[in-house]
Amino acid sequence: MDVQTLTYLIVGATFALYIGIAIWSRAGSTKEFYVAGGGVHPVMNGMATAADWMSAASFISLAGIVSFVGYDGSVYLMGWTGGYVLLALCMAPYLRKFGKFTVPDFIGDRYYSQTARTVAVICAIFICFTYIAGQMRGVGVVFSRFLEVEVETGVYIGMAVVFFYAVLGGMKGITYTQVAQYCVLIFAFMVPAIFISVMMTGHILPQIGFGAELVDAAGNGTGVYLLDKLDGLSAELGFSQYTEGSKDMIDVFFITGALMFGTAGLPHVIVRFFTVPKVKDARVSAGWALVFIAIMYTTVPALSAFSRVNMIETINGPDSTGVDYETAPSWIKNWEKTGLITWEDKNNDGKIFYTSGDKNEMNIDRDIIVLATPEIASLPAWVIALVAAGGLAAALSTSAGLLLVISTSVSHDLLKKNLMPDISDQKELMYARIAAALGVVMAGYFGINPPGFVAAVVAIAFGLAAASLFPAIIMGIFSKTMNREGAIAGMVIGLLSTAGYIAYFKFINPAANTSENWFFGISPEGFGMVGMFINFGVAFAVSKVTAKIPDEIVEMVESIRFPKGSGEAHDH
Amino acid sequence: MDASELQPVEQFLAAHSPFDSLPAEVISRCAKNITVGYYSKASAFVEFDTQNPKLYIVRSGAFEVRDPEGILVDRVAEGECFGFSTLLSGEKVVNKVAILEDGLVYHLPQAIFAQLRAEQRSFDQFFARAFAKRLRNEGRFKAKDLTTTSRITSIMCAKPIIVQAHDSVIDAAKIMRDHRVSSVLVIDNDKLVGILTDRDLRNRIIAEGLDVNTLVSQAMTVSPITTHANALVFETMLTMSEHNIHHLPVVDGSKAIGMITSTDILRAQRSQPLLLIGEIGRQANIDSLIQVSKQIPLLLQNLISADARAEEIGRVLTSVTDALTRRLIELNQQILGKAPMAFCWLAFGSQGRQDQVACSDQDNGLLLAHEPDELAAAYFEALTQAVCKGLDQCGYVYCPGDIMAQNPKWRLPLNQWKSLFKHWVLTPEPKALMHASIFFDMRAVFGPMSLFSELQDDVLASTKDNDIFLAGMAGNSLTESPPLGFFRKFVLERDGSEVKGMDLKHKGSALINDIARVYALSAGIKEVNTAKRIRVLMEANIINRKDALNLADAHEFIAHMRLANQGYQVTNNLPVNNFLKPQHLSSLLRHQLRDAFKVVHDAQAGIKLKFLRSF
Amino acid sequence: MANLWWIKTLLWRSKTKVLPLPLQNYLAAITPVLNQRFIDAPLMAIDLEMTGLDPKNDQVISIGLVPIVKGEIPLAKAQHLMIAISGSVGHSATVHGIVDHQLHTALTLPEAMSWFLSQTEGHILIAHHAPLDIQFIQQQLVRCFGHSIPLVFIDTLAIEKKRRLQQQDILQQGSLRLGASRARYHLPVYSAHNALVDALSCAELLLAQVAAMGDVKKLTVKKLIDVIG
Repeated sequence: MDVQTLTYLIVGATFALYIGIAIWSRAGSTKEFYVAGGGVHPVMNGMATAADWMSAASFISLAGIVSFVGYDGSVYLMGWTGGYVLLALCMAPYLRKFGKFTVPDFIGDRYYSQTARTVAVICAIFICFTYIAGQMRGVGVVFSRFLEVEVETGVYIGMAVVFFYAVLGGMKGITYTQVAQYCVLIFAFMVPAIFISVMMTGHILPQIGFGAELVDAAGNGTGVYLLDKLDGLSAELGFSQYTEGSKDMIDVFFITGALMFGTAGLPHVIVRFFTVPKVKDARVSAGWALVFIAIMYTTVPALSAFSRVNMIETINGPDSTGVDYETAPSWIKNWEKTGLITWEDKNNDGKIFYTSGDKNEMNIDRDIIVLATPEIASLPAWVIALVAAGGLAAALSTSAGLLLVISTSVSHDLLKKNLMPDISDQKELMYARIAAALGVVMAGYFGINPPGFVAAVVAIAFGLAAASLFPAIIMGIFSKTMNREGAIAGMVIGLLSTAGYIAYFKFINPAANTSENWFFGISPEGFGMVGMFINFGVAFAVSKVTAKIPDEIVEMVESIRFPKGSGEAHDH
Repeated sequence: MDASELQPVEQFLAAHSPFDSLPAEVISRCAKNITVGYYSKASAFVEFDTQNPKLYIVRSGAFEVRDPEGILVDRVAEGECFGFSTLLSGEKVVNKVAILEDGLVYHLPQAIFAQLRAEQRSFDQFFARAFAKRLRNEGRFKAKDLTTTSRITSIMCAKPIIVQAHDSVIDAAKIMRDHRVSSVLVIDNDKLVGILTDRDLRNRIIAEGLDVNTLVSQAMTVSPITTHANALVFETMLTMSEHNIHHLPVVDGSKAIGMITSTDILRAQRSQPLLLIGEIGRQANIDSLIQVSKQIPLLLQNLISADARAEEIGRVLTSVTDALTRRLIELNQQILGKAPMAFCWLAFGSQGRQDQVACSDQDNGLLLAHEPDELAAAYFEALTQAVCKGLDQCGYVYCPGDIMAQNPKWRLPLNQWKSLFKHWVLTPEPKALMHASIFFDMRAVFGPMSLFSELQDDVLASTKDNDIFLAGMAGNSLTESPPLGFFRKFVLERDGSEVKGMDLKHKGSALINDIARVYALSAGIKEVNTAKRIRVLMEANIINRKDALNLADAHEFIAHMRLANQGYQVTNNLPVNNFLKPQHLSSLLRHQLRDAFKVVHDAQAGIKLKFLRSF
Repeated sequence: MANLWWIKTLLWRSKTKVLPLPLQNYLAAITPVLNQRFIDAPLMAIDLEMTGLDPKNDQVISIGLVPIVKGEIPLAKAQHLMIAISGSVGHSATVHGIVDHQLHTALTLPEAMSWFLSQTEGHILIAHHAPLDIQFIQQQLVRCFGHSIPLVFIDTLAIEKKRRLQQQDILQQGSLRLGASRARYHLPVYSAHNALVDALSCAELLLAQVAAMGDVKKLTVKKLIDVIG
């Protein structure tokens, strides 16, 4: 069977699995099960959280970025992982005690202001849009390759699939569907990684293969280590060495920071901590989620190194002068159809050649690395198909959650609570669906015209979250003096400054997007952390000159940090 | 324009009751305010404008009024009216009017109708009578109050006090004194000829200075207004108020068979439940209390057969349970002595919500003012055991889940109740939520209100705006959904090959209770009765008015169907349960039931969106 | 019943002429009504009492107007107007029951036509055997304004004829008269005869006809209207 048929089969089978689970869990038989079993097991919940967490950006783009830019790409790894820890340890337990389901509700109540709530809602919607745009691009890449269409068409198909999944499918938000999605995506990610690791280094675990000797076809050690080989290849072709960063330390620091603090402000993951009834279970499942995320994230550097070596070797041939286009490996031709690989025969030798600088003839989109890796390594067709299913699982689980945040925020927080308080349930539901549809369409637009690669688009979302919501949440929990005026001013100015900086370098004047023009050498991806400091500063200054916060709010803050209710005593 | 030019319309009105009794200028005012509509058989039913109820006067054609169950209530032809029950009762239109024959109909707006009723006594009486006739013809749904639809013979005094027309007034007065009545019927040759009242004696004998030996026939009121044996209580009340009299002989032909007074009617109006509750309060020992409680199933039967509203049945039965509980506590306190501290007897679940149906099992607890010492603990143990045992003997069987005051787990001082509720709120695990759905519908049946309020205020403060807990409650309430499948087909439950039907309780009423509870807890509303909760939520603008009204209607309708179905099961000697088989319903009822389930479904989608942020 | 396109063409053509302002306004007001649903369109049943049947020579004595609003007839808005005529009413007075002295309180023809235009502006006219009444109105417009305009109307007689023919009825003499038509729809017999009562009769007949055609809510006026230029 060819790859396309297998892709249809495997993607179809995974969808059937999700639908099956949705039907099973609706059938009513779950109620007894649910009550008897005392809820969802923390391990399951951990998997579901991991599925929510790991988006198309993690699955498709992360390895690509690391593969292409090497060491610098690992800021994403560090930022996201760090952010998760921050969220799980420093924020979720307090927010939970506050009894609020969404971040805007927390901010609205903590800052005793409907305006603060509305500002937070707008921030959250803004962030979710940007995040979904990244997902759309990822889904588009998957569809374009496996249906052999242009990437734009792939995005259109992806929009339809995501919309139906999130709005009409009734499959989202069900823990067991997400558990299945985690299983699909981790299996899809690990299988090719293990295959290649065994082929190249003889080690089953890619994480070990990453630092091991390469082996020849007979399985004998060659004495050359993978990373040395990669550094050698890179040096030869004029790329910066894989293990050596090219970014300024300050930029790396700020991008990591923006990702980390942004993660903590992301609205759709935090909900997962609240759907677990017991505080203790929530902590345990957060731990498990970290384990499940780590399985993938630790594989990323290895997979990117493997595929980088493989890719360069298959393009440039054994003598590093390039191979004839006619005899080029089939994966290059396949991906050319999507427009994500282009070949320009600059020296008219009829050979493809990949290098840095002017002599480069291959234009390769980073987002294809994970998807193309099995093909580059000539793995069996079913592995290639499996990866497609994995990419979809990652994108669906995340974007469904995000679309729900957008649509319910628009319908409930903006319309019902602000504009039309007397709206009927059915109307509210209708507006929610319309908002979801608009969300998909707008995200699709940015998926077709992305201001960067999937991971970079997502990084912008995180930057915005870091600059707007994160400080408001942190000050809400840990400061007894931060008042309404300060928080609102901080959020607004933090969001605007960051969005403005990003818009300038990404849209208005993309030509100027070089480190010389950046503020202190901080890239748009990292500016979120600057925005965060601006937010803190503005909030602090404004709160000093405006009215003190009411006493009952002070009491509330104290009570969430130092629980005195005896209810907790029962539990532990 | 000169109004008299609408001659054909005016002539028509002037020729038909009740307009025929109106002065010409009033008729002309009516004509001027009429709008004319035409109804064709093709559209099958008259479409009512619910915003502007009107009186429909049939100019030509023929119509049929049918109640929601499809039972014929009235046939309306040229010169007759429909739509007045809505105008008179102010309730929304429930009946359907089928168009039998194409025709022209005059619409008289509500404002003019009300004006005419206020101005023209004959006009008002005409429609009041017509309405009474309707009530008698119409079966179930209109009957709100069982006494107004019951027959006069059931409440009249069947052995009237009689004097003969040729008796002297002093003899008559003696009879009246001996029987302690204020009026007697006057008979001549077994025929009713008059009535003699205290007032007649005062005004016609004493005030006139007549002799005490004057004949009764000279003092009596001749040919008194009477009512017939088959009259409705409602009609009798109407007659009394029309003529401003308080005594009415009941006749069968010309023979007097009884007497009815306004006091009888008053008593009958508050008849059975209040009587029973009064009786409960009078019982001096537990055994006699158990005896009295045997009447409860009968009361339920009567209420169902009188087709009281389901909500009223629930409230009536619950107040009987409350009275029984209170009396049991009082009687046992007489035995055990005064309580060592203030306490409240709490009712949970259906008793809390005031929607008990048949003799359900007991769900109760005890709230103590403070931590009891050993002596006090022993006292309350004895008291609760005795009361729970008493309730069991009265037909309220022990709770299978052991949620009873005699269980020390549910016999707690105030601070422990508070922390128990707080625990459920903070840790909304499935078991806690299951408990919550029972315990959050709580009501104090006995004991100081202030003590109970302290607990309730604390609980509601912790649930109000606690989104995480509310999400848990909402999620829990969504684990069941109404039995509607794709294309709004009923989904029937099966037990092996046997079709059980639709579970109207667990997939109907209980879901609405859940929905109302989530909203009420989210807003900190103290009401626990579902209908009241919905009303308060609507008034507070938490639920949209239309949604709230729909939900309240669906609640009443499903509960009513459940009761009616159980009535059917009893009369057909079937096992009594909550399962309804839709093939037993008329197509109209099936349609309405489907609509009611659809309302529940939509309301569930609403709380899913609001509290779970999902759809 | 004329094609909508034809009606619009006629209206458009006369709009290009120089007309007195009231007539211009009248034309402008009718155009948007043509595409409306029956239930939404402003309709006005009219009936004229004349001194004879010749529009050129005979005169209008009285006008009855009865509107149909949302498929119902609000009697409060029914109107009846007398017009002062030159000469005597003559023998037709026996038919209408109008005698000369009643007409002394009536309006002059120009006043009456201004009133008519203001009352029926933006309404589709309804009449039984409408061409006669319409031609009379147009003739009076010429007398008062020097111009006539196309008038859009619904003819209940034409509708009745079409319906009868569709049902393969043999049309007997007099079977399309107002009274005979009404009887087929179980509409009551009105003994009185004047412009107002006849307008009411006509309005009721239209409601009955429309109800008999089926789904009233979907019916558009363009299926019923006709025009005389």
